[in-house]
Amino acid sequence: MKKDLISMEDLSVDEIKEYLALAHRVEATPEERRVKLLPGKIMAAMFFEPSTRTRLSFESAMHRLGGSVIGFAEQSATSVSKGESFVDTIHTVENYCDIMVIRHPGEGTARLAAKTSVLPVINAGDGSNQHPTQTLLDLYTIEKDLGNISDISIAFIGDLKYSRTVHSLIRALIKFNVRNYYLVAPESLRLPKYFMMSDEPDKFNFYETNVLEEVIPKCDVLYMTRIQRERFPDLLEYEKVKDSYRLTAAMLEDAQPHMRVLHPLPRVNEIAYDVDKTKFAGYFPQARNGVIMRQAILLKHLGVEL
Amino acid sequence: MSQKNEKMLMIPKIKLGIVIDHIPAGDGVKILEIISRYEEMKDIPVTLGINYDSQKMGRKDLIKLQLEYLSPEIIQHISIVVPGVTIKAIKDYKVYSKVVVQAPKVIKNLLRCKNPNCITNLENESETLFEAVDEESKQVKCAFCERIFELSELEPIIK
Repeated sequence: MKKDLISMEDLSVDEIKEYLALAHRVEATPEERRVKLLPGKIMAAMFFEPSTRTRLSFESAMHRLGGSVIGFAEQSATSVSKGESFVDTIHTVENYCDIMVIRHPGEGTARLAAKTSVLPVINAGDGSNQHPTQTLLDLYTIEKDLGNISDISIAFIGDLKYSRTVHSLIRALIKFNVRNYYLVAPESLRLPKYFMMSDEPDKFNFYETNVLEEVIPKCDVLYMTRIQRERFPDLLEYEKVKDSYRLTAAMLEDAQPHMRVLHPLPRVNEIAYDVDKTKFAGYFPQARNGVIMRQAILLKHLGVEL
Repeated sequence: MSQKNEKMLMIPKIKLGIVIDHIPAGDGVKILEIISRYEEMKDIPVTLGINYDSQKMGRKDLIKLQLEYLSPEIIQHISIVVPGVTIKAIKDYKVYSKVVVQAPKVIKNLLRCKNPNCITNLENESETLFEAVDEESKQVKCAFCERIFELSELEPIIK
């Protein structure tokens, strides 16, 4: 039976661990062997909205496994712009490839594609809903940098209301029994209560604050996100808060030595450039881990053993 | 006048038909509204009773339909909008079968998702699917956009 990757909500901890273990094996495999794993296989990168990073990361992953890539990078380049239905596009493109990677502004699109197609479908982001490959690469980065996931304390900074990356990662960390969460956000961008829900609410601690400096010494991972101007109805409000969530190298003096700063990228000004040179900066290796995790995902969903 | 005759005056007994009973007082009109949306129900004689005494519920509404068979689609719609009602089939003035309808755990192609950015609202002819998140199906999750809604706030799709 074909296997799709649509939502983190579909995955158990054991299944997530399988992805992590496979990513470790991918990383340990020499490049010259890796490139022989998927010859003749074609990945369709169907990006109905622009996303340079995710698309390039997937394309790079496929090329590194010896496969090839077809696709488009925006809706205007497709027949959908001529009025073709999404379902028809899927039925057509499935004749051209072995696996489909889909990014679409509509929520639930990847699920619809998976129900429509006989091929495995990978969700590369469906509106504000899910972006499971980002969450898997974040988990891989945390495990690789800190040795384990369950025992960490993690701080999330910035737009916690709308960031699907944050939502999805928190839901996954709850599955891993991560107990302590520091949430640093302006009043209007706080984490919706729904994402803090679990069957055992006493087990998990969510500390909310406005002060970034307060949480730096306490956490093992500092997960930064971009605060988007367009989220603020009042631009004055944006001007007031934007710098309070800006991380600089000087602020990291009290950080624990093993602490990592992560960011899904692109950053704007929430991480000062002087942080890049510190031992804490984990966001560029995180992007590299994205290519490794996506190789693991392609192998797993194409049914190729490693 | 005997108690039985009083009842007869309030709402006529039917020889053959369907009775929707134990409707919480005030919800009868909601069911009537669902029924009236179906083309097949346009010519069916319907009696609606409001605020009847009920031992079990204090007050209840009641609907009688003069037809032999109520389609599963309509029954499911009723179970979604007013769960817990009893649907009785009547033959020769007697109840020959009855069922208490509860909201289903999985609701396919009967409700529209409220999220305007859900693919089921963007793609013509897309199916819809909701799954209960609690025991009583009070809250349901769209299987596509994964948003959670109160069952009572979702609009039925009438084809």
